[in-house]
Amino acid sequence: MANPRDTKSPEGGDGDRSATGDLAARIARAKAARPQPIAQPVDVGPGVSAANRAFRLASEFVAAIIVGAGIGYGIDALFGTRPWAMVILLLLGFAAGVVNVVRSSAELNAATAVPPDTPAAPDDDDDD
Amino acid sequence: MRVQTGRVEPTFLDVLVAKEWGFRLAEKPIEPIHQFQIHDYFPLGKIGGVHFAFTNSALLMVITVLVVSFVLLAPTGARRLVPTRGQLVAEQLFGFVSNMVESTAGHDAMKFFPLVFTLFTFILASNWLGMLPYSFTVSSHLIVTACLAVLVFLTVIIYGFARNGLKFFKLFVPSGIPWFIIWLVVPIEIISFLSRPVSHSLRLWGNMLAGHIVLKVFGGMVVGLASIGALGAIAAVLPLGMAVALTGLEILVGGLQAFVFAVLTCVYLHDAIHPGH
Repeated sequence: MANPRDTKSPEGGDGDRSATGDLAARIARAKAARPQPIAQPVDVGPGVSAANRAFRLASEFVAAIIVGAGIGYGIDALFGTRPWAMVILLLLGFAAGVVNVVRSSAELNAATAVPPDTPAAPDDDDDD
Repeated sequence: MRVQTGRVEPTFLDVLVAKEWGFRLAEKPIEPIHQFQIHDYFPLGKIGGVHFAFTNSALLMVITVLVVSFVLLAPTGARRLVPTRGQLVAEQLFGFVSNMVESTAGHDAMKFFPLVFTLFTFILASNWLGMLPYSFTVSSHLIVTACLAVLVFLTVIIYGFARNGLKFFKLFVPSGIPWFIIWLVVPIEIISFLSRPVSHSLRLWGNMLAGHIVLKVFGGMVVGLASIGALGAIAAVLPLGMAVALTGLEILVGGLQAFVFAVLTCVYLHDAIHPGH
């Protein structure tokens, strides 16, 4: 079992070394054949991805609002400016939540190709 | 390990569910959240007036680490050129995570491969071990997932500053923004950055908690209906089928959430290495 029976090894090798004789060359070839890494998110399959996507976007949005309100509350407690910092940072938190949602939905869109039967969006130049 | 002060108080969820299910609790204790209770096995002493104990959660964490270590180390010890089944599983897992880190975070992030691999295998194994009867799901407690998310968050900040210095602040200043908007964009970007560990931990915790509660609710329905009589026992087939289907779904969700947690870790690490947008 420990003795690999590698039939693709080169001829004329001496015993066990024949299997690993050209291993370095084979690894180099495999590395060259490997596609260059492209920075694209891994696709998460079609099944659960709808619920997963919804939960991801929702949690991104809510998290930013919680953090914004939390920072605002902290600043208010420190400087006694209640309620102004919380009001402002809550609004900024909403904005950050929208930024998060836009960013992660762009990521998700980039990960999945557009289906070929998608109807084209109406053009702005079409004035009729 | 749980921090405990005094006796076990009913949590907010306990009270909520007791109100909702109160009529039933009186006659039959079917609690969907009973599974999340923490029990002390033996005390570990007091640190600064806080009581530490080895709990069922800690036990499951230890078991998870042991299982992961065994599954990965035992079959790969021989380093066969032609792998056995066990070695193939370990190698495939390694290759899968390695591919994910390289494609999502870039080649420079490979030094964080051990971190991502550890997080992925730990969450995956603990989620699946939590599916066993009488087991405990570690990631159904927010403190556990929050610790994991904060670990990633601090890694990103510390490594980001160590590698890029003050250029790391570019993360908060997108290029090509006019000066009169920048003062509004920067706070938004900072809040967006700070919200990452929150959403990172909430997602895993929420999925595991909700899934297990739903599972227990359907399980409770089966018992409740079956206790009514012959007609109830026939009707109990419906929630039983639901529970079977949801068990399969939970196993899928457990794997998927571990994967999502690892992918997002890679995305955040990518920002630490290349802070410019």
